[in-house]
Amino acid sequence: MRAGCYQLKPAVVILIIYFCFYTSCQLTDLQVCNLCNGTVANGTAVAQFCASSSGRIDRRCCFKTDNASSSEYVIGLDLSNCSLTHVVDLQGASTALMIDLSLNPIVNISDSVFQGFIELNYIILPSNLVCPGGNASWKKVEVKEGNCLCEGQRNACNQTGQMSLNCPENSLCAPDGPGFFECNCADSYHGYKCLREGAFPTVQVFGPLGASTVLVSLVLWVTQRRKAKSL
Amino acid sequence: MPPSCCGCQSQYTHHHLVAFLLTFFSYVLLHASRKTFSNVKVSISAQWTPSIQNDSAAAFAPSQTWEKNRLFADEEEATLFLGALDTIFLFSYAVGLYVSGVIGDRLNLRYVLCFGLCGSAAVEFAFGTLTEWMHFYNVYLYCGLWVLNGLLQSAVWPCVVAVMGNWFGKSGRGFIFGLWSACASVGNILGAFLASSVLKYGYEYAFLVTSVVQFAGGVVVFFGLLTSPKEVGLCLESETGLRPVERDTDSHRPLMSDEEEEEDVEVCDGGYYSVQQHDEPPTEAPQAIGFCQAFCLPGVLPYSLAYACLKLVNYSFFFWLPFYLSNNYGWKEAQADRLSVWYDVGGIIGGTVQGLISDFLGKRSPVLALSLLLAMGALVGYSHSPNEQVANAALLATTGFFIGGPSNMISSAISADLGRQEALRGSQEALATVTGIVDGTGSIGAAGGQYLVSLIESRLGWVCVFYFFIVMTGGSILFITPLIFKEVGAMWRARQALNQQL
Repeated sequence: MRAGCYQLKPAVVILIIYFCFYTSCQLTDLQVCNLCNGTVANGTAVAQFCASSSGRIDRRCCFKTDNASSSEYVIGLDLSNCSLTHVVDLQGASTALMIDLSLNPIVNISDSVFQGFIELNYIILPSNLVCPGGNASWKKVEVKEGNCLCEGQRNACNQTGQMSLNCPENSLCAPDGPGFFECNCADSYHGYKCLREGAFPTVQVFGPLGASTVLVSLVLWVTQRRKAKSL
Repeated sequence: MPPSCCGCQSQYTHHHLVAFLLTFFSYVLLHASRKTFSNVKVSISAQWTPSIQNDSAAAFAPSQTWEKNRLFADEEEATLFLGALDTIFLFSYAVGLYVSGVIGDRLNLRYVLCFGLCGSAAVEFAFGTLTEWMHFYNVYLYCGLWVLNGLLQSAVWPCVVAVMGNWFGKSGRGFIFGLWSACASVGNILGAFLASSVLKYGYEYAFLVTSVVQFAGGVVVFFGLLTSPKEVGLCLESETGLRPVERDTDSHRPLMSDEEEEEDVEVCDGGYYSVQQHDEPPTEAPQAIGFCQAFCLPGVLPYSLAYACLKLVNYSFFFWLPFYLSNNYGWKEAQADRLSVWYDVGGIIGGTVQGLISDFLGKRSPVLALSLLLAMGALVGYSHSPNEQVANAALLATTGFFIGGPSNMISSAISADLGRQEALRGSQEALATVTGIVDGTGSIGAAGGQYLVSLIESRLGWVCVFYFFIVMTGGSILFITPLIFKEVGAMWRARQALNQQL
C-alpha cells in the first residue's frame, strides 16, 4: 500500500503543477496586458465599456468569457499613460473592441499592428498620430482633449462579402482590420491562389480504369500471347 | 528452314490488328502525356509564383493562399524555366533516340517498350503529382526528372516502328503506315481533352490521370503484344525488314526507284525485325552502315537541317500553343487546350493529303516546297488572328495543314527514300540509322528552339515569335532548294523524254 502511495504522490504533484501552469499561462500568456504596470483606471472609457459589457478587468485588459467554449478573450485594452514610444505588436488583443493608447509619447505605430483587429470599433490615440488605416477607414474621427478618437471601423472591401475588385479571381473579400482586407477563397474553390475547384472523383475515374485494364489485359493475353513461343 | 506457312501473301489476321492497335495506342498515350505538360503550363507557373498586385500595394492577405510559393519571383521567370524544361526534354529525347536503336536491338522489344511506357509514366507522376502533394518545388529535381523522362520516352518510338515493321512488310505498307502515323496527332488530341477536363481539380490531377493511363497501357502491352509473327508461327510476307517511317503518312513504295530486289523471297527465316541490325539472313549479309557514313549520304544533311527547322516550328506550336492562347487572348486554360486540338487535326489531314499527292506526282520536294511557302503565309495570317474562337480555330487548322504535312513527310517518306537510294543498294540498316539521324537532328533543332521561343517571348513579345517561325520555315525551304532543283529537273527531263517518244 505504501509503495502505491509513494507512486501516486509524484503523479498528483505533477498534475497540480500542470494545472497551475495551465491556468496561469492562460492569463500571463497575454503579454499585452502587462505592457505596463497598473490596471484599468476607474472612469476611463475602457472601464465604462468593460462594466457595461460585464467583463472582467485584469491588469490592463478587460476580459469576457465566451459562452460556447468558456475561454476568455480580450474585449478592451487600456494602455494609457504607459510611457510607450513605439507600438510594435499588440498580439493577443486582436479581439478587442476598444483600445486606449492616450497619454503616451508614441513616435510611430507599425503598419501591421492592427491587422486582424476586425472587432475594433473605438480607438483613442495621442493627437499626433493618424487613425490606423487612415481617416477613410473610420466612420467618425474627432480630436478631443488632445486625443484622437477613431470610431466605427469601416469595411475595407468595397462591398461586403461580394467578389469585389480588390481580390483576385475565385476569392471573396473580407475585412481584416482598419484599412486591411483579406481574400478568402469563394465557395467550392480551394488551394493555392484558389485555383482548384471541387474534389477529384478518384473512385469514378480509377475504378473503371483499373477494371478495364485488367479485362483488356486478360482478353489480349488469352487471344494473343498464350501460345507465344519464346524466340 | 523450310518455308513454312507461306502462301500468306497479305493475309491479315486478328494478330495484325492487335499489333497495329497496341503500337498505335502506345504512342498515343506517350504523346498524350507530353501534351499534358504543355497544356498545364499556365497553372504550373501560377503555382510556382506569388501573386503580384498591379499597384505594388500591400500583398494579398492570407499569405498561405497568395504569397507562399516563391520558386520564381514572377511569371516571366517561370516561363523561361518552362522553356528550358522543354529544351532539356527534347535534348535528352534526341540523345535517347540515337542510343535506343542499339539497345532495342539487343533486348526483347516488348520488354523495352513496356519499360519505356511504365518508367516514363512513373517519372511523370513524380514530376507533376508527387511534388505537388508534398509541396516540394525544386528546380533541379524538375530538370533531373524531365531528363529521365526524355530518355525513357525515346525507347518507345523505335520499338513501335520495329514491331510494325515486323508485322507489316512492304505490300500495303503505305496505306497502313499512313493511317498508323496519325498516332502522334491523335495522342495530342487525347492529351488535350484529358488535361482540360481534369484541370479544374488542379494540375497535379492532370498528371495523375495521364500517367496512370500510360502505365495501364504499358501493362496491357506487356500482356498482349506479340512483337513478331514468328512468335505465333506466322511468317512475314517479305524479307526486307525495311523500316518505313517515322511519323506520319504514307511513305509506301519508294518513290525514287524500285529497289524491290528481294520481293520474291518468301522464306520465313530470321524474319525477326530488329531496330538496327539484321542478325542472320543467310543469303546476304548486309552490313550496318556506320553512323558517319550514313550522315554523309547525299540528301541526308540537307533534309536533316530542313527537318530541324521544321520540327522546331511544329514542336513550338505543340508545346506553347495553349500558353499563347490564354496569355494573348485571355482565354481560360481549359478552353485554350480544346482549341489547340485544331492544329493537330490540320496536321493529320495535311500529312495524309500531301502524302497522297506526292505519291501521285511521283516526287516529294515540290509538294514540300509549295506547302512550306503557303505555311509562311498561314503563319502571318495566324499571328494577326482576331480575338474570336471560331476564326482562330480555322486559321490554326490551316497552319497545321501546311506545316504538319511537310514535317510528317520529311520524317517518314523522305527518310525512307534516303535510306534506300542507289548508293546503298541492299544495305537495309541504313534506313534505321538514317531515320534516327533525321529525327535526332530534328529533335535537337526543336530543343534549341524551345528555349529561344520562351526567350523571345519574354523579351520581345509573341509577334516576334511568329516572325522567328516564319524565318525558320524559310530556312527549311532554303536547305532543300538544291534537292528541289534536282527533282524538278528530273521531272522536266522525264517529260521531255516522254514528249520526244510521242
